[in-house]
Amino acid sequence: MADPTLQDYKNDVPNAWCPGCGNFGILQVLQKALVTLGLPPERVLLCSGIGQAPKIVHYLNCNAFDGLHGREVASAQAAKIVADDLTVIIHSGDGGAYGEGGNHFLHAMRRNVDVTHVVHDNHIYGLTKGQASPTTDQGQKVAVHPDGVAALPMNPLALAISQSCPFVAQSLSSQADHLLDVLCQAIRHPGFSYVNVLQPCVSWDPVHTYAYYQKHCYRLDTSHDPTDQAAALAVALAHDGRIPLGVLYRNDRPALRPVSEPGVGDLRECPDRPARLARVFDRYR
Amino acid sequence: MPKILMKGAEAIGEAAIRAGCLSYFGYPITPQSEVGEYMSRRLPEVGGVFVQAESEVAASQMIYGASGAGVRVMTTTSSPGFSLMAEAMSYIAASELPAVVVNIVRGGPGLGGILPSQGDYFQAVKGGGHGDYRCLVLAPATVQEFVECVMKAFPLAEKYLNPVLLIGDGMIAQMMEPVDFDAVKTEPQRDVEAWATTGCKDRPRNVVECLWLDPKLCEDFNFELIEKYKKMAAEDCYFEEYELDDQPEMVVVAYGTTSRIVRTAIEELRKDGYKLGMLRPITLFPFPFDRLRALSETAHVKAFSVIEMSQGQMIEDVRWAIRDKFPVGFFCRMGGIVPSPEEVIDFLKQEFVTRGLKGAKS
Ligand SMILES: Cc1ncc(C[n+]2csc(CCOP(=O)(O)OP(=O)(O)O)c2C)c(N)n1
Ligand SMILES: [Mg+2]
Repeated sequence: MADPTLQDYKNDVPNAWCPGCGNFGILQVLQKALVTLGLPPERVLLCSGIGQAPKIVHYLNCNAFDGLHGREVASAQAAKIVADDLTVIIHSGDGGAYGEGGNHFLHAMRRNVDVTHVVHDNHIYGLTKGQASPTTDQGQKVAVHPDGVAALPMNPLALAISQSCPFVAQSLSSQADHLLDVLCQAIRHPGFSYVNVLQPCVSWDPVHTYAYYQKHCYRLDTSHDPTDQAAALAVALAHDGRIPLGVLYRNDRPALRPVSEPGVGDLRECPDRPARLARVFDRYR
Repeated sequence: MPKILMKGAEAIGEAAIRAGCLSYFGYPITPQSEVGEYMSRRLPEVGGVFVQAESEVAASQMIYGASGAGVRVMTTTSSPGFSLMAEAMSYIAASELPAVVVNIVRGGPGLGGILPSQGDYFQAVKGGGHGDYRCLVLAPATVQEFVECVMKAFPLAEKYLNPVLLIGDGMIAQMMEPVDFDAVKTEPQRDVEAWATTGCKDRPRNVVECLWLDPKLCEDFNFELIEKYKKMAAEDCYFEEYELDDQPEMVVVAYGTTSRIVRTAIEELRKDGYKLGMLRPITLFPFPFDRLRALSETAHVKAFSVIEMSQGQMIEDVRWAIRDKFPVGFFCRMGGIVPSPEEVIDFLKQEFVTRGLKGAKS
């Protein structure tokens, strides 16, 4: 079979993002990553819920599951558990991933199913027009917080590292080379991998602009050992105004494999499935 | 105070504040995020609290907690969000606490769309969450009526110690209409000490709970609920009759946005001599069963029609009310499409023919 090309992932679904949206950068790099990894579209399942970020699954020509706001993390794990040959990648907004779906995010890290969770972190509820998300800065003035957000923003990187999430990385939508490298590593990682992609929202967030990120981001270099959990946590917790990009933390915890009868493998392709099902049904006659 | 022009969503917020609701917990969802935006601006001005929760599950549990603590509290959402609140609704009803919840219904099922729909009728009137419970359900048809219903909802919730649910849709929430907040008198909260966790100095403590491991006690409680719902039906069932007092042949039943279209259709049809009127339920639970049944037993009424923006949900209650004495005509548009007066007129004309009524010839 010929290697997949960018062309294979193209479709003509009209795009509904604002001009200049950080999501464009993520879309381009995602396509490149899938091609770089030699994944044909029929073996890729993109899962999402609702928001500007989740729209991404419609803009690539591969399998897509567009479920519920924040709950896509739960559905995606189940899809992977029953269809192990699929490469499952979840695309959530920060609102979906950390707010509505926060609980699912926590338990996905514990469970360690081999899926990749990409959070498009624009620090805002984009689709619903600019309300605060769990990562909006404290004090930032937004739609429903005219006097500024009172709550502390979540630190999802530190949270993930503290929970021994198998793969924790951060990148920036406008740094294509960096994002490509990080995404490829994440998708290759044999277990739950999580990437927080910082992304300016040009419509609703005047604070976290391209210039802002250009000024505050720095790339982790070889002096950072991503297998050192304490060091990773220190990076995530450093309140020095600088924003780390790169793989902060990784471990080799074995991923959860579907628990089924030996030799069953992919539940959809079990050769004697009708016979087995008949035996199950017989028990209830 | 003179009338002011206000968007439905903002009027809902203001009405709650005028009714003495100084706490609001919510989560954004179209087409009613403006209620939250309004409350976030306005509540601090009047010393109230606004919290944007992390999800509707949290928002609804917050109104549960705040209500238990003895204050007037409201949340607003739209269909997918209301499904997530179903759990709390069941617990609030079971714990016998007052709370006001607004569902601005959008096209469904699933994520659906954001345009007007009445697809959540069953969910609203049959409980929606688990167990045998009902919400008192109000379905206003104009922004003014929404204001009045919101303001009445708080004392009603306290009278019955039961959640009151208001349902509307994007048409009402997004539309601007003149409103008068003085049309309803504010009623103060009473007897909070009887149920709220406001401390137990010099009185027995109150415990908010809803667990009965003894089936006898659980059944007793369910019987009490039945009595509560009977009382609602006897004392707080509201509806409007439109053109029903000159012996119409046909009664059309419609609520909320749909009733506005039906009103126009009836106006037009009556100009052509058709004898028909409308019964518009304002409370969907309790439902005006008795009034509908009485209408079905008059000599002049020969047909009923139901118009909905759902697949045929309220029609079940109408058929039950009239004990299927006549076949009930049904017309609907769904998924965010509001029926036009023309298509309702065509449908009703056809119904006059199908049911063998005199119609324009009379
Ligand atoms: C259960 C439920 N609650 C709320 C909504 C409304 N809603 C849609 S997207 C969204 C948040 C979007 O923010 P985020 O997840 O950060 O994605 P973004 O649009 O910023 O990419 C909300 C609240 C919904 N669709 N379903
Ligand atoms: Mg976002």
